[in-house]
Amino acid sequence: MSNTATPSTEHESHDDHAHPTETQYWLVFLLLAVITAFEVLWSYLGFSGPALVVPLIVMMLVKFVIVAGVFMHLWFDMKMLNGKIFTMAFAAGIVVALAVYTTVVATFEFNV
Amino acid sequence: MAIFNEPLRYSLPEGDKPGVANPLGVFSRPRSETGLKDWLTTVDHKKIGIMYGSAAVFFMLIGGVAALLIRIQLATPNSNFLSADAYNQVYTMHGTIMIFLVVMPIGAAFANFLLPLQIGARDVAFPRINAFSFWCFFLGGLMLNSSWFLGGGADGGWFNYAPNNGVAYSPSHGIDFWNVGLLITGIASLSGAINLITTVLNMRAPGMDLMKMPIFVWMSLVTQFLLLFAIPVITVAQVLLLMDRVFDANFFNVEQGADPLLWQHLFWIFGHPEVYLMILPAFGIVSEVIPTFARKPIFGYPFMVFSGIAIGFMGFGVWAHHMFVSGIGPLSVTAFALSTMFIAVPTGVKILNWVATLWGGKLTLNTAMLFSIGLITQFTVGGLSGVTHAMAPSDTQQTDTYYIVAHFHYVLFGGALFGFMAGFYFWWPKVFGHMLNEKWGKWNFWTMVVGFNLTFGPMHILGLQGMPRRMQTYDDAMGFNLWNFWATVGSFILASGVLLFITNVFLSLYRWNKAGKPNPGPDPWDARTIEWSIQSPAPEHNFDYDPQIVSVDDFWHQKYAEDENGKLRKVAHGADIAQPGNGEGVHLPAPSYWPLLLAASLPLIGYGLIFSLWLTIPGGFLMVVSLYGWALEPADDLDLPHGHDDHKSDHAEIASTVNV
Amino acid sequence: MSDAAVVAEQATDHVEDEHAGHATSLNLSNMKLAMWLFLGSECLLFGALISTYLLSKARFLTEILAGNPVVVDSISNPTLVEEMRAAGSVEPLFDIPFTSLSSFILLMSSLAMVLAHKAISEADYKNLRIWLGTTALLGSFFIAGQIAEFTAFKEEGLSFTGSLLGSAFFTLTGFHGIHVSGGIVMLMTLLVLSFKGKLNQDRAETVELVGLYWHFVDVVWVLIFTIVYLIP
Repeated sequence: MSNTATPSTEHESHDDHAHPTETQYWLVFLLLAVITAFEVLWSYLGFSGPALVVPLIVMMLVKFVIVAGVFMHLWFDMKMLNGKIFTMAFAAGIVVALAVYTTVVATFEFNV
Repeated sequence: MAIFNEPLRYSLPEGDKPGVANPLGVFSRPRSETGLKDWLTTVDHKKIGIMYGSAAVFFMLIGGVAALLIRIQLATPNSNFLSADAYNQVYTMHGTIMIFLVVMPIGAAFANFLLPLQIGARDVAFPRINAFSFWCFFLGGLMLNSSWFLGGGADGGWFNYAPNNGVAYSPSHGIDFWNVGLLITGIASLSGAINLITTVLNMRAPGMDLMKMPIFVWMSLVTQFLLLFAIPVITVAQVLLLMDRVFDANFFNVEQGADPLLWQHLFWIFGHPEVYLMILPAFGIVSEVIPTFARKPIFGYPFMVFSGIAIGFMGFGVWAHHMFVSGIGPLSVTAFALSTMFIAVPTGVKILNWVATLWGGKLTLNTAMLFSIGLITQFTVGGLSGVTHAMAPSDTQQTDTYYIVAHFHYVLFGGALFGFMAGFYFWWPKVFGHMLNEKWGKWNFWTMVVGFNLTFGPMHILGLQGMPRRMQTYDDAMGFNLWNFWATVGSFILASGVLLFITNVFLSLYRWNKAGKPNPGPDPWDARTIEWSIQSPAPEHNFDYDPQIVSVDDFWHQKYAEDENGKLRKVAHGADIAQPGNGEGVHLPAPSYWPLLLAASLPLIGYGLIFSLWLTIPGGFLMVVSLYGWALEPADDLDLPHGHDDHKSDHAEIASTVNV
Repeated sequence: MSDAAVVAEQATDHVEDEHAGHATSLNLSNMKLAMWLFLGSECLLFGALISTYLLSKARFLTEILAGNPVVVDSISNPTLVEEMRAAGSVEPLFDIPFTSLSSFILLMSSLAMVLAHKAISEADYKNLRIWLGTTALLGSFFIAGQIAEFTAFKEEGLSFTGSLLGSAFFTLTGFHGIHVSGGIVMLMTLLVLSFKGKLNQDRAETVELVGLYWHFVDVVWVLIFTIVYLIP
């Protein structure tokens, strides 16, 4: 996106933040692929209980953040004027979802 | 501002010829500015707002007849006016219609009409999606009501608890209609929410910071966020139910180990934000009406804003108080009882601030103001009985009795609908260009107050006496006769109050026509917010130029200033400083058939799911065609003369050549 | 279906996004803001489906009796299940290597999508078409894998109507599959528009919006893969 052409509309110009290069996108993808491989590996190592679940959840969240941050450009939009709004709109959904659904699952656990 | 100032800066991407008006070669672009075709294809937020309002009032008549049927059935003990089966359908449909097809859409009507006007925008962010939202709501509502003629309405209560909502216990198609109809109105709410949030966040006039927005805009914004996050939850619940009922899935099949509490959770995660999103628009309306007629700014503007936001957030944390007797366990009950008591705080802040705004004001007790005060008092009664439900032990006694019925009618009828009535009387001149009759208005108000309290007041007593909700009848010896009789009397007084309003609408129009259509002027109430700084009725292009916002209640501050002694003086008349309504050079989004057609495909698919999957084929075909037609149709019709406008249509030809 | 509909409108709604180019209160594009709000709302949708699955999984084993197509109810038969496990007569339902491969394919499609957006914002229309096509193709592979998987599960005894677990599993992954399919339709539409010369640099945001949707569907799969497949 680095100032190659002159876009006819204004919104192009304030999108013009240092988005990653093609190589960087490939590297991020490789990182994601490695984490996925690790996840699968971990699930085969015979752990059970928290030793299995916690690392898997952590790796899942790392992947989530990388895709949202790099591929969905949230990290770069954050630097843009008011760009935090995008992250906030998305994060609001995630936070509400986490809060209500964790509570729902918990009420089934603690119903004595 | 999105739609401002840009006709000639606007360039089509290469490959598109200007005026490609019928992308699929099916229709030529609609151009009518009047008549049925205009209403079917309009994307004007004001017309859409009017349609939302009229459709909601139409559905209110259906829901109101259902209410009267319930009251006739209950007027006397051991009555057989309605069979038990019919009674189940009537109260279920009464609740569903009133909530989804009356209170929510009237809120949407006000939001649609007022948000762009109050933030100084020319239209909403996505005018065609706005039209799509309306048609989804209206067609979904019609589909829901078509169940009356196609085998009977839903019969499981408005929340249709599992497993009672399964085919085994409710074999008619009623619940399928409920399911599909509400899925369609859910699409309306969701797309409307995205549209209106974008509009409020992104299309404010220069200078209008978030903390300078009118309270109504704030409350609607919170409402739309509640919809944004609550609608998907009910969508999932209904999809699961649909899978169960239509495709034999097992989500609520207890024999297969399913836990029907899942339905209650999903329903109320949606359902509790739902009650706040029904009341918040009414809160916003009275927050505009009271300062205007108390001649004082709203007391504690930031508190009003933040309490609204707090209600929005906490609204997602109290749902299980609807489930205190469902066996969710003492830990959950305690937690939700606590959070429920907390949510009374921001609501109390609002009540306090309205009272403090009234305090020491120069009150004008016209109809709009009377309805606002009606909201404050009646909502407070409903709020106080609400606190008694927050106490879990007391709620255990009250659950499923008429005490609950009394509570939610006090907040939703005495609160939300009274607020909407205030809004009707207040903004009628801005919408239609004439006032509603005050004398009839006062009759309307007092009839409704008496009828309302006589109907729902006794239900507190009936509930505490132990009369259960949703029972078709009761025995003579139970001691419920007296108050049931008076509640029925009250309901007919209340109904005549609503009819007085409808009479007033037509009477006022008739008298206005006979008097030669006098214009009430842009600012008949000496009001505070910028929608009064344009002509009445609001011109099609809203604002001639971007209003520059300096403060909260900006229009008021243009009219009043302090003199050297610090005394408030009127420095200008609203009519003199109002924008003249000259739409020259303004380019408006063009009407379109596609929103209506896309919305029409949904009920077709819905009927297909219920009766025969074959019907989903034409429905799906229509949907795909409409989607592509929509996507390939430019939002603007460049052949449309710029500056077409009801005041200045003769300038249209010139305007199209003028660079603005 | 409805979600795909809304997205399709937004994604290909060129002219309304032109409006958004002019000064707005937040200096953000209307379309992009709307898309993010929509994705925020989708979190609640998938959250509900995932919780529904988790609650039904708590009651059933995702393992099947070898050769015997019955989903074992772990609540009514707790000891039976343990015995069978010890005797080695249950085998896992999920084919982890296969699903890992399709997860990898979906991840790769996200890379292709982001490269497509990069190409259009640099007016590199050849690469735009290559990467749009690649994204759609990889997405189709994913869907093909899902169909193969569904067929295999059905043969092994996990059916939509047969058990609570089956209903929850197929609804969750099916909803995700519908989202992917909607994305493929949008990508193909963009590809056709591009070949017709109607998708030039001015409309880079349209590609970006479809991309946002596509990546979102990808991260949802990241969650489903871990929660449904890897954690027993």
